[in-house]
Amino acid sequence: MKSVVLEQLSKTYFDPYRGSQVTAVRDLSLTIDEGDFVAVVGPSGCGKTTVLNMIAGFVPKTSGRILLSGTEVKGPGPDRGVVFQSFALFPWKTVRQNVAFGPKMRGVGKAERNRIADEYLAMAGLSHAADRYPSELSGGMQQRVGVVRALANNPDVLLMDEPFASVDAQTRMTLQEELTRIWEERRPTVVFITHDVAEAVFLANKVVVLAQGRLLAEVEVPLERPRSWDRLVQDETFKELSNRVLQLVRSA
Amino acid sequence: MTALQAFWGYYVRWSAKWPGAAALLSFLPLILLWAFIVWLEIFPRVFLPGPLEVLGKAWELLYKGILLDYLGDSVVRLSVGAAAGMALAIPLGILIGLNKRAYEVSWPVLLFFQAIGDIAWLPILLIWFGFGLTTMTFVIVYTVLFPVVLNTVLGIRSVKPELVRAAQSLGASRPRILFEVILPGALPNIITGLRNGLGYGWRALIAAEIIVGTSGIGFLMFDARRAGSVEEIVVGMIVLGLLWYIVDSWILAPVERATGQRWGLVTS
Amino acid sequence: MAVDAVPQPRPLSRSRLRQTVKFLLPLLALLVIWQASVALLGVNPRVFPDVPTVLSAGWKTILDGSLLTHAGASLLRVLVGTLLAIALAVPLGITMGVSKGISTFLAPPLRFFSVLAGIAWIPIATLWFGYGFGAITFVIFNAVFFVVTYNTLLGVSTIPMPLRHAAASLGTNRWQMLTQVLLPGALPNIVTGIRTGLGFAWRGLIAAEMIATNTGLGYMLFLARDFYRTEVIVFAMIVIGIIWLLLDRLLLAPLERRTIERWGMVQQS
Repeated sequence: MKSVVLEQLSKTYFDPYRGSQVTAVRDLSLTIDEGDFVAVVGPSGCGKTTVLNMIAGFVPKTSGRILLSGTEVKGPGPDRGVVFQSFALFPWKTVRQNVAFGPKMRGVGKAERNRIADEYLAMAGLSHAADRYPSELSGGMQQRVGVVRALANNPDVLLMDEPFASVDAQTRMTLQEELTRIWEERRPTVVFITHDVAEAVFLANKVVVLAQGRLLAEVEVPLERPRSWDRLVQDETFKELSNRVLQLVRSA
Repeated sequence: MTALQAFWGYYVRWSAKWPGAAALLSFLPLILLWAFIVWLEIFPRVFLPGPLEVLGKAWELLYKGILLDYLGDSVVRLSVGAAAGMALAIPLGILIGLNKRAYEVSWPVLLFFQAIGDIAWLPILLIWFGFGLTTMTFVIVYTVLFPVVLNTVLGIRSVKPELVRAAQSLGASRPRILFEVILPGALPNIITGLRNGLGYGWRALIAAEIIVGTSGIGFLMFDARRAGSVEEIVVGMIVLGLLWYIVDSWILAPVERATGQRWGLVTS
Repeated sequence: MAVDAVPQPRPLSRSRLRQTVKFLLPLLALLVIWQASVALLGVNPRVFPDVPTVLSAGWKTILDGSLLTHAGASLLRVLVGTLLAIALAVPLGITMGVSKGISTFLAPPLRFFSVLAGIAWIPIATLWFGYGFGAITFVIFNAVFFVVTYNTLLGVSTIPMPLRHAAASLGTNRWQMLTQVLLPGALPNIVTGIRTGLGFAWRGLIAAEMIATNTGLGYMLFLARDFYRTEVIVFAMIVIGIIWLLLDRLLLAPLERRTIERWGMVQQS
């Protein structure tokens, strides 16, 4: 597992429609400990996805530093698994082939990587779908595959970009509970981007609120684990924390 | 009414089971209409022969061996030209699609050469290579080349960036990304390009055979035109139509559907 | 990302100019490469002429009016054949497409004729209409007609049934159903059909003009071949390319994009 440290991170880019420079992220400093679960919330356009894309190495930063356990990030790499809002499953690969993709890139043999894939698919209750193509699955199942594909590569850091935003409400709750369970078992460092305040509080140890590319607040979430929606909807601390974060986001 | 419905129900089930046969059956009314018009003698027979005369002519040509020979010539020319065109076009399309600079420089040139159209090259090709196989092969390669290159480039450029990012963050190297992500992603477009290219190439072949020809179905038709034999022209048209119909709807379209639909990608 | 992008006219029109320049620059470079390679390699001008020879030959055809005659004749044939074909094909396609049974039954023969469209009709067209305007216009007509009919049929039959039910339950009569639902619903396919059909028609035109007439760009090419005037051939080829590029890129492609992308509809093959 690795820690993620952002130092004075900034991102500006040229917007051809406005004909000027736009600042998406400015002077953001943040420390995420090894094995921590941090959710980043904020109104749309606050730069949260840009932050995640910079940590993943997909877009270059303008200034500042991004450190993974002390080493600076240069481009994407298998130490950071990414789960995308649009799932980003390979449509021409079966579910098993999708999950086995990371091991395959490491040069793991066919039998071994299929065994790994099947093990992870069983963990997510997807064994029956192993030979199907992604387009044949529901949105919720596709994102389960997306999460499992990232996990099967044993990443030190899991980066999740609004992964449950395009899944129906019922399935979303199940996926959230499954994610907390997996995190408790394996303890990867997680950076979770969302605009759903309740989701952030439910999942994370710490909620970071961004506004206009700046750090607005950090809120600790001292809720007990394992967490489940059945209990937390009644929980006073949960309600109080959700409210506080919501006020912060709205004030932004 | 119920008997008719029963018959209709039987037809629907039967056509679902044998779509190929059902497709052939739907030509029947058309042929009957054709026979009826000929029977009315609105047009003189030398302009519009009846189905039976055409069938007789087809049998005669088949019996003499001319039809199969010419058909073979046309098919071989098309296959050789198309294979060469694809062998050039797909690698070229990949190179252009992967490199932004190369794309910007070559895209207008490609569009322009596609716009000139294969057939307009015939006169200058005749000066360069004379009446012969080289001219015809050049025309077909040229015709197949551009739709395939243009569609390959489009396909590569329309691969979703998230898929490339996903592969990168799973540790894929650049060559691995090309073979595991970009090429499969572009495949439906490449096949569409092939389908268009063959459609154009096949028409170019007919034109080339008419103008340049010494053999082939196009030559057969134009030779018949000179001799004033309408039946032979119609035989040629039917053979061409059938041939392309079979290739397009039983080979190319299913392949296009198989890749596009199974993967849930939209082909355009 | 920070603020919703609102397109503003000025920077956009400037970028449009830049795009045009970007598009033309490689073509200019091609001219330079052509001239340089002809000059450096010492190519026989009978085999391949250099740029000034082609330009002066082209200028001559413009001055004596022959270019205008030939291009005008070609364009007139395309215009007449295409308009006639569209006027007949769209109503026919819609009528057949309304009923599921009729459309599945008639689709195979239509496909047959649309794959046969264009060049393959040249021999019989010249027999029916003699050499000249009639035969060539007929070739263009049927290149467009069958492809557009087939695509219209396809377009109407892919309009989702709930859409037709919704319109019916909102009180549309037959005529309104046609003009408000069926025609707009099939329009993206119709436009695609026109673009494909015209592509075949343009090639068919050049081929037919080489064989069956004494005016038109195809004839201009073939006549020049008889006299080994490669500079006229190359000039005519460039004219053919430019006309089609302008027609396709400035008229057909934007039309197709607008109907398909505007309404967020997916193009059917």
